[in-house]
Amino acid sequence: MIVAERKPLPEIIESIAGVKRLMVVGCNTCVAVCLAGGEREVALLSSALRIAANKDGRELEIVERCVERQCEEEYNREVAAEVADVEVVLSMACGVGVQTMAQQFPNAIVYPALNTTFMGQPDELGSWSERCLGCGNCVLAQFGGICPITRCAKNLLNGPCGGSADGRCEVDPEHLECAWQLIYDRLKAIGQLDRLMEITPAKDWSPSRHGGPRQIVREDVQA
Amino acid sequence: MQARKRVVMGCARSAGVAMQKLLTTGWSLPDDVEWVEMPCASAIDELHMVRAFESGAEYVLVLSCHQGACRSLEGDQRLANRVKAVQSLLAEIGIDPSAVAHQRMAPNMASDLRAWITSLGAPQPCLANEQDAGEA
Repeated sequence: MIVAERKPLPEIIESIAGVKRLMVVGCNTCVAVCLAGGEREVALLSSALRIAANKDGRELEIVERCVERQCEEEYNREVAAEVADVEVVLSMACGVGVQTMAQQFPNAIVYPALNTTFMGQPDELGSWSERCLGCGNCVLAQFGGICPITRCAKNLLNGPCGGSADGRCEVDPEHLECAWQLIYDRLKAIGQLDRLMEITPAKDWSPSRHGGPRQIVREDVQA
Repeated sequence: MQARKRVVMGCARSAGVAMQKLLTTGWSLPDDVEWVEMPCASAIDELHMVRAFESGAEYVLVLSCHQGACRSLEGDQRLANRVKAVQSLLAEIGIDPSAVAHQRMAPNMASDLRAWITSLGAPQPCLANEQDAGEA
């Protein structure tokens, strides 16, 4: 999923300075699962903004809404009337949702309330870790299902480096496991250690962002 | 001018029992205190606390069972974590984080409950929870 976290409240308050009527709109998909931008977070942020406004003697009316998936225009249509009726839309979606909202409603002022951080997985309640950079050419088969591009701090395709000790990464031993230790352990467990005898050539980054924003067109499913 | 308001939320199994004992003694809640009984401290969400402030509360006191005594196992710790989150949010807004406080208690601590409620929001440092301070 896409993992995000709320921007610092002072930054959000500064972005809506002078605004008297706004909509806080969440997204019920990834950011709801990572507890950053679902219905509960919309209610919490709205309440905090009203408290802050009241404390400063400012008028502030907030319309609270949450759509199923803010990155798809068809779900945003249900809030079209409210978007037209507020000065600012404060989106609690990921950066994709914010841009979809801005593109779909060209006259609306849309600001982000979240910092979109990474594509990752939940480790446990309240903890998420990055797992994919979206490099455009998946190498997981070669490395036992553990991505060295994402999980090795140095993106090494031929590791480990000299900074691996006791299974931890020198970049942040307290929090980071050495991806190459994980790769070794995993390949050993599935009987594919011989894969480590292969030298992996320098990665071809052309499927990544080197050509600018990427697009996928599927003619077979197009109308 | 808006009247002063304080909100006390607590677990029915500890604070709720203590509150009932207090009320049977003839003691009554101060007029400015709103008592909210919850089935467990883990049911007290950040949103409940923030909404209490939004509705005009100057101080919010939340009450859980003692560590290890929660019938839902970890309700007190979940509440402690949420109180920290609300305190951070209050600080971001520019409100003194100590406006929300957490106390752990047993059903037989009615006199402590009365003291906490009576002194809630008073200038003296009466709400320091040694257990929470130790965790910080």
